[in-house]
Amino acid sequence: MNKQDKSNKIDHKLVLQELKENPYKKFNIAFVLMVIMPFLVFLYLLTSRLFDFSILIGNIGFILFLTFFISLCGFYIGFSILKNIFNKILSYAAQAKHSDQLKSTFVATVSHELKNPLASIKINIYNIFSGFIGQVNEEQKNVLGICQSIIERMNRLVNGLLDLHKIEAGVADVKRTSFNLGEISERKIKELQGLADKKNIKIIREFLDKGLSVWGDEDKLSQAIINILDNGIKFTPDNGNITLKIYSDDKFAKLECIDTGCGIPEDKIGVLFNKFERLNATKEGTGLGLAITKDIVEMHKGKVLVESQVGKGSKFILVLPRDLRSIIR
Amino acid sequence: MQEKTAKKILIVEDEKELALGLATLFKAQGYLVIAAHDSMFGISLAHKEKPDLIILDLGLPAGGGLHVLRNLKNSVETFDIPVLVLTAQQGMNLEEDVKQLGAVAFFHKPFEPESFLSRVKDILNNNC
Repeated sequence: MNKQDKSNKIDHKLVLQELKENPYKKFNIAFVLMVIMPFLVFLYLLTSRLFDFSILIGNIGFILFLTFFISLCGFYIGFSILKNIFNKILSYAAQAKHSDQLKSTFVATVSHELKNPLASIKINIYNIFSGFIGQVNEEQKNVLGICQSIIERMNRLVNGLLDLHKIEAGVADVKRTSFNLGEISERKIKELQGLADKKNIKIIREFLDKGLSVWGDEDKLSQAIINILDNGIKFTPDNGNITLKIYSDDKFAKLECIDTGCGIPEDKIGVLFNKFERLNATKEGTGLGLAITKDIVEMHKGKVLVESQVGKGSKFILVLPRDLRSIIR
Repeated sequence: MQEKTAKKILIVEDEKELALGLATLFKAQGYLVIAAHDSMFGISLAHKEKPDLIILDLGLPAGGGLHVLRNLKNSVETFDIPVLVLTAQQGMNLEEDVKQLGAVAFFHKPFEPESFLSRVKDILNNNC
């Protein structure tokens, strides 16, 4: 019973949003028809006869009747317009709700249909690799190792697609809290330190505003930070440097990831955030990391900026509004 | 002298290939394995066999894994059997919800077999 009540309930947020975006003009017309127009007609009739009291008094019944008639027409037309607007809003709200349900169903179905087979393949390959089904020689183990890394890649791709879909469809789980940007960045650096060490890449911290806190979804912004850091490590040659800089001004908190990598040609910067865009196909990646980063930052009403020079390196800047709390509210 | 019996694991999973993989993995460790592919059969097998551990998938046909978990934890015969939950579903509070219902561990599919196996061993050893 409760569930049904809930599903029939109108989403007031959507109605308000619709009111805000669409029918202002129509509302104004309805308002004019219902209130101002009858008043103006009454005023006109009154003033046009104001200098001749005898006419005014003689025609007062007519004037009042005419004013009342016009008011009635205005009210009727205004009311019809308002009724139409409201019906339209309700139908928009219902459609939006249905579309949200479809989006959520898509995520659940994709998760189930893709992750279950991946789990099955993964565990069965592990069983063969570990020799639980029979002896395996080194050559076979190598092939199985390749299969395992392909499964990992597919898993990353599925997760990336799901994340992207959830953010774009507005059905992502968002848990906003206030957290320290420096502490999160430090944690993410530690997670990727091993990867950087393999290429002897030095990660330099320049946390100019150590107490800088941001209000947002910690997990998602962490993912954005890890994506740009991971990207930097991938495209920086051995023995290079990556600088992570955190600072702020009155309006924005900024996080810069500066690498000494190969740089990005100017004509490619525009497509950098497109899904499945991989500037260097030889580097491992899903082509979704930067698209997800952009969506996450934009979800926080921020921007991702890129500056790059071929042969010298790139700078990715995450710009987040400091008073995010009041903006999102 | 009493002979030490092997621990019994019940797998309640509708993906037969995954259930097969899990069964192979557990048998290789010397555990006894029984399996059910839907909710109702899973519940009845848990009551009948009294396993030492239940591996439970959340996306089950005929009732769903959460229904099985609630049922197991509300029954005097099965409430003390540890349940390890597997899921391909995504949800912000899913892990918390499942643990509140009484599950001892939670794994997202596809999980790392090594860490999964070590968790299973931990649970079974603590249960000795």
